[in-house]
Amino acid sequence: MRRLIAALAALACTACASYAPPKPWEKGDLAKPSMQFDYDRLDARYTDHVYASKEMATGGVAVGGGGCGCN
Amino acid sequence: MAATDRRSLLAAALALPGVLPAAALAQSIPDEGIVALKYLDYRDWQPGANRMTVKSPSFYVMTPFAGSWTVEGAVVYDAMSGASPLWFNTLSGASGLGVTDYRTSGDVKVTKYFDRWSIGVGGVYSYERDYISRAGALEVRWWTADRNTTLSFGFGGAADAISPSDREIDNGKRDTLDFLFGVTQALSPTAIIQSNLTYSRGHGYYSDPYKTLDHRPDERRIFTWLTRYNQYIPAYDAALKLSYRFINDSFGGQSSAFDVTWTQPLPQGFVVSPVVRYYTQSAANFYYNPPFPQGFRIGQDYTADTRLSSFGAVTVGVKLAKVFADGWVADLRFDFYRARSSWALFSSGSPGIDPFSARWIEAGISKTF
Repeated sequence: MRRLIAALAALACTACASYAPPKPWEKGDLAKPSMQFDYDRLDARYTDHVYASKEMATGGVAVGGGGCGCN
Repeated sequence: MAATDRRSLLAAALALPGVLPAAALAQSIPDEGIVALKYLDYRDWQPGANRMTVKSPSFYVMTPFAGSWTVEGAVVYDAMSGASPLWFNTLSGASGLGVTDYRTSGDVKVTKYFDRWSIGVGGVYSYERDYISRAGALEVRWWTADRNTTLSFGFGGAADAISPSDREIDNGKRDTLDFLFGVTQALSPTAIIQSNLTYSRGHGYYSDPYKTLDHRPDERRIFTWLTRYNQYIPAYDAALKLSYRFINDSFGGQSSAFDVTWTQPLPQGFVVSPVVRYYTQSAANFYYNPPFPQGFRIGQDYTADTRLSSFGAVTVGVKLAKVFADGWVADLRFDFYRARSSWALFSSGSPGIDPFSARWIEAGISKTF
């Protein structure tokens, strides 16, 4: 686990090293559907549902989702 | 009681929370709405035996209105049938009768946008014969003047009522509070990162009434750290998406999930997105290894639910989308999932558990307007 955290920290540092926030006219690529985190809402829901039904816990994306009989 | 009327909690292999995920760059009101239909066909199995089958159509719509508002909502219906484990890999459907269940869920969310912040309020209602869930959430987002940094604050609550179809239980209620803090940062013209911390605390009935001897704590705390990073690759007009999620569960388990997705536009309006996911979890404190019911003590917490065992899992999938004119998109997705005890990382896998496999297919169509 410590190695994993170290690797993630290294990745974060790499990202920070290239930190150059875009100007307003430079956001065209970020606005593409493929660059969104949950552009296909139903797809994201199905995927979360499937994993939540077979693994111990889920979450991290939103709050107030409510429960179900699957887990 | 007919077996088909029982154990529907277990049968609810897909019934799930109507989450309301946040878009990445939602610092301003969307300039167009979207309506989407999708259908899920799901099946899972273990060596020598089929388990659950799920058919699930869903509908989603989001539209801006009155200049600075959006409303979005979804409805999903799950029809589930098959067999679920009573303990370890012993199936409820071994008698051949199997189980069935149905779930209907709907959610709605309204968001008001201001110049530098937004506020959203949502609600969820989910109905199964033996499980009713009501949930609500409040979400506030604030962004910097250059709109490169967004802070998200979320608060949610859920009230669930569990009433098994084949017996009476004492106080089958569960109440949960959720808190979220998130940061989304545009790192460059081609990279964006999002990191969310969520904390969930619940009280009430957590046991699985259809699993033999199952008895779980009546309080649960879950801490989640989710970080997602999207990198646009100009040379290929592609997007590389990385995700890591860590969960610490007061039941005793910890889990890590890694996701990698590559989204590649192709000629003729096609887009292909292969995805690979690795997941690992450690066992709950009250999970005991086979043989059943080794470790069981009257009055103490106990489970033989393999979902609370230590295992690792790999998913490989691919999504193919076709973009048509006038905002129409059709997509097809296939995923294959396999879990094995020996694939657990950071902890030794739980012994004596059969491998578990699943596959699911999604077909959808959407239209922006």
